[in-house]
Amino acid sequence: MGAARTEWFHRPRGGRVTCSGADIATHPLLERVEVRRNERVAEGVGLLVLHAPRIAATIEPGQFVHLRISTGADFILRRPFSVHRASGETIEVLYQVLGRGTRELATREAGDVMDAVGPLGNGWRVPVGAAHALLVAGGLGAAPLGMLAERLAQGGIAVSVAQGAPTAERLLARDLFDAAARRVVVATDDGSAGETGFVTGPSARLIAEDRPDVVYVCGPEIMTRAVAAQAAAAGIPCQVSLERLMACGIGACLSCVVTTTSGRKRACVDGPVFDAEEVCWDGSELPPRH
Amino acid sequence: MDRNSRPVTSAAGPAPGLGVDLAVEVAGLDLRNPVMTASGTFASGREFADFIDLSRLGALVTKGVSCEPWAGNDSPRIAETASGMLNSIGLQNPGVEAFCERDLAWLRGRDVPVIVNVSGHSVADYVAVVERLERETVVAAYEVNISCPNVDAGGMAFGTACAPAAEVTRAVRAVTRRPVIMKLSPNVTDIAEIARAVEAEGADAVSLINTLLGMAIDARTRRPKLARVVGGLSGPAIKPVALRMVWQVAHAVSVPVIGCGGIVTGEDAVEFLLAGATAVQVGTANFVDPTATMRVIDSIERYCARNGVACVRDLVGALEG
Ligand SMILES: Cc1cc2nc3c(=O)[nH]c(=O)nc-3n(C[C@H](O)[C@H](O)[C@H](O)COP(=O)(O)OP(=O)(O)OC[C@H]3O[C@@H](n4cnc5c(N)ncnc54)[C@H](O)[C@@H]3O)c2cc1C
Ligand SMILES: Cc1cc2nc3c(=O)[nH]c(=O)nc-3n(C[C@H](O)[C@H](O)[C@H](O)COP(=O)(O)O)c2cc1C
Ligand code: FES
Repeated sequence: MGAARTEWFHRPRGGRVTCSGADIATHPLLERVEVRRNERVAEGVGLLVLHAPRIAATIEPGQFVHLRISTGADFILRRPFSVHRASGETIEVLYQVLGRGTRELATREAGDVMDAVGPLGNGWRVPVGAAHALLVAGGLGAAPLGMLAERLAQGGIAVSVAQGAPTAERLLARDLFDAAARRVVVATDDGSAGETGFVTGPSARLIAEDRPDVVYVCGPEIMTRAVAAQAAAAGIPCQVSLERLMACGIGACLSCVVTTTSGRKRACVDGPVFDAEEVCWDGSELPPRH
Repeated sequence: MDRNSRPVTSAAGPAPGLGVDLAVEVAGLDLRNPVMTASGTFASGREFADFIDLSRLGALVTKGVSCEPWAGNDSPRIAETASGMLNSIGLQNPGVEAFCERDLAWLRGRDVPVIVNVSGHSVADYVAVVERLERETVVAAYEVNISCPNVDAGGMAFGTACAPAAEVTRAVRAVTRRPVIMKLSPNVTDIAEIARAVEAEGADAVSLINTLLGMAIDARTRRPKLARVVGGLSGPAIKPVALRMVWQVAHAVSVPVIGCGGIVTGEDAVEFLLAGATAVQVGTANFVDPTATMRVIDSIERYCARNGVACVRDLVGALEG
């Protein structure tokens, strides 16, 4: 069956897979959120736990929040982060410390307040009738896939994970993946865990051996594109979460466009999740980090 | 120049609450307050309706629209810079027909004056867009963008010399009786000269400034940060330049001036009014705070109340010293 005919109906929502038959229109809101915890989880990676009851109540896997990090008079754009986990009144964000914004984010302490716009973006969708999903995570790409793994498992869908990172320590969201997945295969650049090399090794093997009904990918765009090609070659529908530089995050500024077979779409509202087959890989991705 | 003595007939009347009269008249439009959105930073308002009450805006200025659809530039299209950002969106838009069907249809009945920002690659393009929009009753006025630094043909080229700026104004003036606001480029030697040229051809108002042409480089990769290499600078970084230009233009022309560039707070807006602007536009600040326009309106009102200013029009051009 060609992936082109896939019906993407369900969203993995609230612990079960719903079948609304249509996208749930999201209405983002501006919420004053309080830092509950902010701690280092690996070299250059932090975990931020925010008390955000209104966003937590409606956020779906694959959606993101746009954080206003600066509290001073400084002008700084918001920064987008996937929600890695949502439980009760809190949301969690895994962030890599890169530049001005994330360096400042790393200094926030419990009790600090900031404001968040969310939930933003479309989130992952589940094809009708899917029984088995493969999640392919590269580096920080584990963030939005963690929540998906949890929700899929709760909804009775079998989960396999292929995960890659520079080092064993940087294999993020291990707890969520281990709890939700029946099989996790990892690769690291330095061989400190799993096989040495890129995640595309494990992903190719899991696609061939497990024949999943759907593949979800998030990571550096070059990796995402390679995994999407593997899925396409196997005739398996594939969704990819893409990153673009974002100013508004709500669909107004056209900073974040992704070229698709039906024209340029906004990653912040029409994405960040796209059907892999609609994406024209035009080299407009962000430069690789480091 | 005495803008304070302009007859002002306001349908909106004084704002409730602090008893300050915020109404202004610009190019024949009665606005409930002087705060508009800046084109391209607010789309057509729909994305902001989750955050603010659009009917509280003085006016809503839409994203630039052209005759045919424009795909815009490649990504990356933005780069954050000190107290601001560069953009090279390139006026991506679905074309005037789709704009009327989707955006204007949505705006109908929203109880906010709609000013449509018009772009073109040629004089004929500008005229064609305006002619099509003449059929749409929801349009209150046109803002003609002769100052976009992000397109190759047309765009800023029309706004950087008097003759082409005058030519676009004359051509648009000829096909509409609605107010025509010319949006000026700061990327010129003498902006007052351009303002006088468009005023002479019948512009009802001028708005300024559009973005300043700039560039950002990643030293690590030795590459430009924008795919298009250069882009338009906006945000607080450009406010001093914008204020200076508004002040110069307000002295050079007698039509109203709409001030724009780096406005984040009510105090910023008041500074533009003092420099001679009758109204202001809030742009990049909308990205950081989707409620920025509302904050600016409320804070202008508080400024007036605190300083014994009964009527916001009294601030226009009231710079001392
Ligand atoms: C929908 C979405 C979800 C995201 N989720 C996460 C997440 O869960 N965890 C996480 O750590 N990061 C995530 N990102 C990336 C994150 O937004 C950026 O890393 C962050 O904005 C960098 O800010 P900074 O000020 O530290 O870096 P800057 O000083 O702005 O830039 C430092 C470096 O980071 C790159 N960069 C800047 N912005 C982005 C961006 N939006 N995407 C990718 N690279 C960028 C720049 O090109 C530059 O090389 C996400 C981005 C998007 C669009
Ligand atoms: C992302 C972006 C898109 C813009 N698009 C347009 C446009 O379509 N037409 C136009 O006349 N000005 C456009 N502008 C310029 C703004 O309307 C405004 O003149 C400028 O940004 C300065 O104001 P600010 O500092 O408050 O943003 C755009 C600006 C930005 C940042
Ligand atoms: S970030 Fe503004 S449209 Fe996507």
